[in-house]
Amino acid sequence: MSDLLRRKVGVVACSGEEIAEGSVTRLAALRVLGYLRPDDTVTICLPLFLAGGEGDRQFARVYPTIAVDGCEKRCAARAAERYSGKPAASVVVDEIVAQAGIHGVAGRRQLNAAGQQAVKATAERIALLVDEILGNAGDHHTAALETPAPDEGLQAEGETTCSCGSGIPVQNVLIGGEMVTFIALPLIMQQFRAAAKVPDANTARELLDTARIYTAVPDGADEAYASALLRVYTAFCEGQEATA
Amino acid sequence: MSEPTQCVLIVPCSGIGKPFGTVSREAAYEVVEDLRPNQTHLVALSRLVMGDVEARTAVATCPAITLDGCKLACATKMVRECGGSVMRGFAVLDVYRRHRDLKPHGIARLNDGGLKLAHALATEVTAVVDSLVAPSCPAEIKGNSHV
Amino acid sequence: MMSIFIETTVDKFTFKVATDRAYTPEGLWVSATGNQVRVGLTDYLQQRSGDVAFVEVKPEGTAVAAGDELATLETIKVNTSLVSPVSGRVAQVNPALEDTPELINSDPYGEGWLAVISVADWAADQARLLTAEQYFKQMKQQAEEDTKKP
Repeated sequence: MSDLLRRKVGVVACSGEEIAEGSVTRLAALRVLGYLRPDDTVTICLPLFLAGGEGDRQFARVYPTIAVDGCEKRCAARAAERYSGKPAASVVVDEIVAQAGIHGVAGRRQLNAAGQQAVKATAERIALLVDEILGNAGDHHTAALETPAPDEGLQAEGETTCSCGSGIPVQNVLIGGEMVTFIALPLIMQQFRAAAKVPDANTARELLDTARIYTAVPDGADEAYASALLRVYTAFCEGQEATA
Repeated sequence: MSEPTQCVLIVPCSGIGKPFGTVSREAAYEVVEDLRPNQTHLVALSRLVMGDVEARTAVATCPAITLDGCKLACATKMVRECGGSVMRGFAVLDVYRRHRDLKPHGIARLNDGGLKLAHALATEVTAVVDSLVAPSCPAEIKGNSHV
Repeated sequence: MMSIFIETTVDKFTFKVATDRAYTPEGLWVSATGNQVRVGLTDYLQQRSGDVAFVEVKPEGTAVAAGDELATLETIKVNTSLVSPVSGRVAQVNPALEDTPELINSDPYGEGWLAVISVADWAADQARLLTAEQYFKQMKQQAEEDTKKP
């Protein structure tokens, strides 16, 4: 994955105040953010998606997110998908509790012992997912996102910046007669190019895997998307060679 | 003067990173569980964000008191976004300004000052509830607790 | 006059620096008109500090030397002592902060100013301060370091 884009993961907890599992999500997220993976994670405030937290929205549009939900309503996952992009991963406390054999989670105001166990189990699951997403287990580096200036050397056709106002470059790609906007694709291609990845089928698959973290890929569309990404990346590489 | 309502919704902050958010939730729980369990009902912000029908219906039909942990005032904004009436929006920071000796610390577990600040807020909220509410919350609203 | 800002985004936070004034490394801005300078918090310092609960500025008439405490700030996160960037006498304290200290958060470079100080030797004070560009560079580095702290 692009170094520029894999530095942080946003954690979106449902925080549902009505149930104990909601408190579990909040405390598990806090444990990850403050203790388990402080260098690799940022909290994304769920209500701020609607209440004007533009920084949270922009972050979640560009960086991968993990949604942490207390119940099957999956408010965090759905909100993240609706207001930014499909989460890179999604966990539900109910499922983790069942898998861990924890019984009797209770106490939305003050979690009982089972609730505390659930917090630890959920936090550990989130931390593992962070490592998986970043591909850097044991290598927790951090850095800031430098908003690229509009004219910073990305020459691919169809490139623009994200409508969220973040300055993050996006690229429109025609797939099956429809224009699809890929968030951060110019940056991804730039990183692939820097890594000397040649435009071939393997690279197409890698491009797809990286791109889907930031842009939803519909079920059953992998082949068409990979093919389109390969076409665009080939043109990008040719353009780079021509200007070299 | 308007007719007294039957139930008041309490909508606290969902913030994770600061003790003031925890104070808002502790105060909300104190009101709905201890002080006015029959006249109030807690609504989770996440349900409003996602447009949950039950939560939105409750907000549309019952007056709400919001408890915000920071200046972004998500709880107040969300209730209004859902077409609800915020009868009173409390900011924990304002309450703290009235009780400077009660500095809250601890996000997962509030210190004594934080708990006392939450109690002070809960007391203020309860006074507003009492000014708004009829003797008991109707069963159909109470039955709308989270499933 | 409208200020022009340079800004950087670190994680989900965007920090602005006004280009029309000088700065201290600690995050106060200084804007001079003749021998009077207006002082306030930078956007970075106010965001890093959090919502302001109380601010207490030394009263009008107080003599301050550069480095002396000018004000104390209590926010939802920290208690901070703010030191004077210049030497002189406090000529005016922002009266709006008494009832609405949150102006420091909502308009740090404008309505949220702290105080006006009559300076004795502005040229000497100015020589110790950072330009906007220098402060921006330092602030950006600090903000990036902050992201590594739990």
